[in-house]
Amino acid sequence: MNDEIVLKNGRVFDPMNGINGEIKDICISNGKIVEKVSGSAKEIDLKGSTVMPGGVDMHTHILGSKVNMARMMCPETNRHSPYLATKNTRGGVGGITPNSYVTGYLYSIMGYTTVVEPALPPEKALSSWEEIEDIPGLDIGLLPLFGNSMITFRYIKEGDVNGLAAYIAWILKSVGGLGVKVVNPGGTYAWAYGGNIRELDTPVPQWDITPRQIMHGLAEAVELLGLPHQMHLHPNNLGKVGNVETTIAQLEALKSVKGHKKGRSVVHLTHMAFDCLGMVEDGKPEWKYLASAGEEFAKYFNKNKHFTTDLGQITFGPVMTMTGDGPFQFSLYQLTGGKAKWANLPVEVELPGGAGIVPFNFVPTSPAHSLQWATPLEFALNVDDIWRCVMTTDHPNGGPFMKYPLVIAWLMSKKLRGEWIEKAHKLVQERSHLSEIEREYTLEEIAITTRAAPAKILGIERTKGHLGIGADADITVYGFDSEKLNLAANPEKIIKHFSQAKYTFKGGVQVAKKGVVGKHLHARVFSIHPRLDDGLSIRSEKEIADMIGKWYCHSYENYTVPARYREHLEIPTEIDSTSISA
Amino acid sequence: MSETRKTIENVPCTFCGCLCDDLIIEIEDGQIVKNTNGCAISKEKLLGCNENRLLQPLINGSPVSLDDAIQHVAEIIASSRRLLIYGLSSTENDAHREAYKIAELVRGVVDNTSSVCHGPTILGVQSSGEPNAMLAEVRNRSDLIIYWGSNPAAAHPRHIPRYIKKEGEYIKDPKEDREIWLVDIRRTTTARMVNKFIQINPASDLEVLLTLRALVRGHVLDVDEVGGLKIDQLKEMAEHMKSAKYGTLFFGLGLTQSRGSHRNIDAAIRLIQDLSAHTKWTMMPMRGHYNVAGANKTSTWMTGYPYAVDYARGYPRYQPGEYTAVDILANGEADALLNIASDPVAHFPIDAVEHIKKIPVINIDPKINMTSKLAEVNIPSAIAGIECDGAATRMDGLPIYLKKVIDPPEGILPDREILRMIYNSLMKVLKK
Ligand code: SF4
Ligand SMILES: [Zn+2]
Repeated sequence: MNDEIVLKNGRVFDPMNGINGEIKDICISNGKIVEKVSGSAKEIDLKGSTVMPGGVDMHTHILGSKVNMARMMCPETNRHSPYLATKNTRGGVGGITPNSYVTGYLYSIMGYTTVVEPALPPEKALSSWEEIEDIPGLDIGLLPLFGNSMITFRYIKEGDVNGLAAYIAWILKSVGGLGVKVVNPGGTYAWAYGGNIRELDTPVPQWDITPRQIMHGLAEAVELLGLPHQMHLHPNNLGKVGNVETTIAQLEALKSVKGHKKGRSVVHLTHMAFDCLGMVEDGKPEWKYLASAGEEFAKYFNKNKHFTTDLGQITFGPVMTMTGDGPFQFSLYQLTGGKAKWANLPVEVELPGGAGIVPFNFVPTSPAHSLQWATPLEFALNVDDIWRCVMTTDHPNGGPFMKYPLVIAWLMSKKLRGEWIEKAHKLVQERSHLSEIEREYTLEEIAITTRAAPAKILGIERTKGHLGIGADADITVYGFDSEKLNLAANPEKIIKHFSQAKYTFKGGVQVAKKGVVGKHLHARVFSIHPRLDDGLSIRSEKEIADMIGKWYCHSYENYTVPARYREHLEIPTEIDSTSISA
Repeated sequence: MSETRKTIENVPCTFCGCLCDDLIIEIEDGQIVKNTNGCAISKEKLLGCNENRLLQPLINGSPVSLDDAIQHVAEIIASSRRLLIYGLSSTENDAHREAYKIAELVRGVVDNTSSVCHGPTILGVQSSGEPNAMLAEVRNRSDLIIYWGSNPAAAHPRHIPRYIKKEGEYIKDPKEDREIWLVDIRRTTTARMVNKFIQINPASDLEVLLTLRALVRGHVLDVDEVGGLKIDQLKEMAEHMKSAKYGTLFFGLGLTQSRGSHRNIDAAIRLIQDLSAHTKWTMMPMRGHYNVAGANKTSTWMTGYPYAVDYARGYPRYQPGEYTAVDILANGEADALLNIASDPVAHFPIDAVEHIKKIPVINIDPKINMTSKLAEVNIPSAIAGIECDGAATRMDGLPIYLKKVIDPPEGILPDREILRMIYNSLMKVLKK
């Protein structure tokens, strides 16, 4: 077969299979990694190169109305980043929010092959599928939003977890979702009347239910269904000085949720950089009292295994903040004295109040920004189980994904951290422990935090995040020899190599080579379709149809994303959730 | 009921930005015979979908085969140096994709009709942002609605009856619980449907908006009257707006196309943003063509920019005022025009139309319009949402899947297919 390839003599880092820097051949056939190939397979000699599974980004905002609003509102962020069309690829712009084509290409160039868009308003899913048609070179997962939906609220209020599970199942099937996202539960709903909810037990206006109940109910429903990815949570009280306390309280409240598999976490806390702000002793929740809580949170993380997390690392420079946390975004806008642009996008019934977008700039001269930068690094360098800790920037919130190589370099090189601590505000040395930390991530640890761990947490580890037999042939080859190059001492080399893979293979096809994308591959979408008990299904569909009829102003029949936009892209996995009774 | 009669429910109406998706369409012998729920415009559009059709491609007015027409189009485009592709707002999203692809291939300019309607709204958003609204949220929650420079009774006939005068979850009695204002320079038919009509002087929108903003911020103003309104009346308005629980501003071309243009929008946005510090306020442009919001969206994800996109350098650049269709024509820059689902000859200013007369025009449209009369090549297409499916975007950003309810006339293809054929034969011509 002529699509067979053998990658010879590369030094392989494949933590899921316990391979740590061994010279090993990898055989590819039909887009998969196989035991062996025929003699006619194409051979590529990778002597002196480093081989890892394709990168997995479990939290990146690359599509949907908020991204398009950001592009439309801020053409200036893309103006100076042209990306030329070639014979094989499309043109575009590659600033903080690249257009769809270039988003795919830039990921391919860095060696990433799988990404998850973590904020899908379910009723707008059709547009997302249209956009995915134009995002090349990636396997994509979508996480629909549930934490402020009136339909969720109704089931929570009635204490009907089975009904809630059936609603989740129906949405996942209707829109092609992979898991459940919860943003500021109840708080964004309160924003529909200009409010917010910062505490676990404050009732949601008009509903008389609390964030604790919403979160707990949704996590339970996820486990009842047996979804491969646990509830993906953006907590209440985001971006508030001292919020590490409320975040820990939220995580504590989820401890009692029973996981469907032994030893598995029941919640993924996303972008901890924004959720774990510390406060100096006797301080007040104001910016001047900000301190890093990275180490404090790492201690909690090391002791409590019921959750996983990703960093949402802040990088210095211009960013585009966008979250389903409308009140947080408004407070950010007010923080600029109303000088920044501020957009707000409500989603009827499903995210009343709405998501916000504010362009922002993190500068090293600011004490607050510097401490926010130090916090996730301090955390990541103190965790003892990297399998539960994923490198992200919450693109484009903490920084665009194109800055991952810089974040990797910070994790791997104390030398580089020292240089940046020098550039940052001096409070970083007083109110964080970052400068004292000796630890440097190894290549194996980088392979875990950028590949193996996110694949496992997303529940796609059968085919993603590793290079064992049966895995998808998503492979990144970096052009350095880890035996010869001291990375920690040469952080600029880390940035160089991780910015530009020597080769990126996606499903056995070479998509990029040394910064040049040679193939425009169609995306694929992973989704979960839970199969329900018939009785539950019938009851739930009727209830959902009634609620849509009453609360929305388009029809139930037109809600589902039609097959014609999905069938050539979607790879649905059916799971058996029939044990949930009606 | 005869065998050839059938009924299709939940059909979206592809006329205005409301994209009402509750039409019940009855079909007999392959023809639409009844449209229930649609407004008068919708009925006319659907029942009259066969009127004024062009049934065969034309080159210089003479019927030709589709293949010959496509071949001729490819030759025109290949020999042009600065192609302008324009229109798109009255067709579905897949057609847009093909249009951008052609623009990129020949390094042309692509613009949609928002450049002559809500383009200033986008410029306003680019300076300030925008706290948006969504229609069911307005219906469920909004207790104060303001229409400004918009006449929905004529242009969006079901906007008020379907979204505003209907009860919502938290507005049980819309008559009692919801107040509607209209701000305009003349008493339009909409005035009869609102609680309060506020007439302002022509071209005074900016002053009135800025005054309201100052009053909301608590400034004392030493004037008696602004834009024809007494200062006390303006104060009362500002107070009322601050005390609403959930306010919504719908604005139309009366605001974007009058004196002040994007500055009016910027002022309106800043007013709504300031009000947001007191209570909930949202806003929404009353988008006209059913898929103009979609044209901005597809352009944004595929090119990075919402309209006025130039590929001359092999990558997209954005410059309203320069790459906008009217400007590129009036400046005499475009040397060929590919027009899709719009009628620039009927709507553009005279100097732009004068230039259209001088260059080869390719017109793709289901119907005969003013532009077809000037076009060197006319290719008829299927009507999206009636004769072919597709996706479109409601004025508030909701994507809706459009249905095919009847077959197009014999041999007539959707826009996207025609554009794909043009792309393919262009590739062949360019290779030579
Ligand atoms: S209001 Fe607009 S979309 Fe609704 S039926 Fe009338 S023309 Fe069609
Ligand atoms: Zn995020």
